[in-house]
Amino acid sequence: MHSPMEQFEIKRLLHLNLFGIDASFTNSSTWMVIAVILATAVFVWGMRQRALVPGRLQSVAEVGYEFVAGMVRDNVGDGGKKYFPFILTLFIFILFCNVLGMVPYSFTPTSHIVVTFAMAAFVFVGVTIIGFARHGMHFLSLFVPKGVPFALLLLLVPIEIISYFIRPFSLSIRLFANMLAGHTMLKVFGGFVVMLGIIGGWAPLAFIVVFTGLELLIAFLQAYVFAILTCLYLNDAVHLHH
Amino acid sequence: MLRSIYGALAGLAVLVASGTAMAKEGSGGMPQLDYHSFAPQLVWLAIAFLALYFVMSRLAVPAISDTIDRRQAKIQGDLDAAEKANEDTRSLVAAYEKRLADTREEARKHMRERGEADSAAAAARLQVLHDKLAAQIGEAEKRIAAQRDDVMAGLENMAKDIGQDVYAKLAGQPADQAALAAKIAVAKGGR
Repeated sequence: MHSPMEQFEIKRLLHLNLFGIDASFTNSSTWMVIAVILATAVFVWGMRQRALVPGRLQSVAEVGYEFVAGMVRDNVGDGGKKYFPFILTLFIFILFCNVLGMVPYSFTPTSHIVVTFAMAAFVFVGVTIIGFARHGMHFLSLFVPKGVPFALLLLLVPIEIISYFIRPFSLSIRLFANMLAGHTMLKVFGGFVVMLGIIGGWAPLAFIVVFTGLELLIAFLQAYVFAILTCLYLNDAVHLHH
Repeated sequence: MLRSIYGALAGLAVLVASGTAMAKEGSGGMPQLDYHSFAPQLVWLAIAFLALYFVMSRLAVPAISDTIDRRQAKIQGDLDAAEKANEDTRSLVAAYEKRLADTREEARKHMRERGEADSAAAAARLQVLHDKLAAQIGEAEKRIAAQRDDVMAGLENMAKDIGQDVYAKLAGQPADQAALAAKIAVAKGGR
């Protein structure tokens, strides 16, 4: 009986060393590259005709584009256009990694905290830099809620500061934990199917079928949540709104 | 804000719970916490993400936004053309209707003029005919008057003859011509 966590093991397929850094090509790297290639296929090869009346693949690319464009427009508004390619890349990368993780025998790069945290930390640092670049020291007013009595501010400002610095953690752990929990659950119930055999194994098998559908939804939803929270953080930095 | 804190706490709970569970099982813990695997993952995340960012920002986004803009322009152009065609048709119909009304008016005018001319000509002809008839009637009346005068003259002579004859028979002597003529003139005047 394999451990449910075994599926998350990083296997080095090709040992590489870049300036003393371990840059081995692993199973995680494989699926990242596959995600990038498939996304490129949809968004570049699918758009090769640039038809006024889109075909199937072009429609997929345009729907994805419009979806993220609408998200950026609604949540960041003016001044968000510059960051749209980044948000689109973020959404598509996470979505493809999550969904490809549902393919049997594949690997889910986003089920590793280091990957999700790297993305979340990049967003956090980037948003903070944008905030200070646009508003200077005035950006700190983000931590001071408007129209609150001074006595309450003593309490609220620390809470605001803590909630600001917890952003990269909540953002990364949400995605990582969802992927981890879903895949572990599927593996555990897969183990039940084997354990209960041909007589009792049908019940967990039926559960797996239903849960796979739910996992596909979560795969999309977590990519969406990651992207929309990035938009909201960006909105804070661009417009200083609360 | 609060929701993200809850999310972070829930995630941490899952992380810690599964991590400790694995540790108890003695299978070496979560692969996610194996820091030896961090470097290759981060290196390849950077490579993959940068590659996708390059593809998206340089190729996909311009292609899609260009296509959407062109589609929008085409739709707008078609709508404008349709609007213009509609406008043209409307003005053509208006011109046609105006022309039709003008023609109808002109035809009516022509008809009226023709009618007036016709009736004037007819009146002239009628006048000619009238004059001619009047002349003929006048001539005929003159003729009748002449004949009557002739007849009256004959009648006077006849009356004179008859008077002479009657007087001669009754009186046995010829009548006085002058007295007879006076009597006849009186009788004629009395009539």
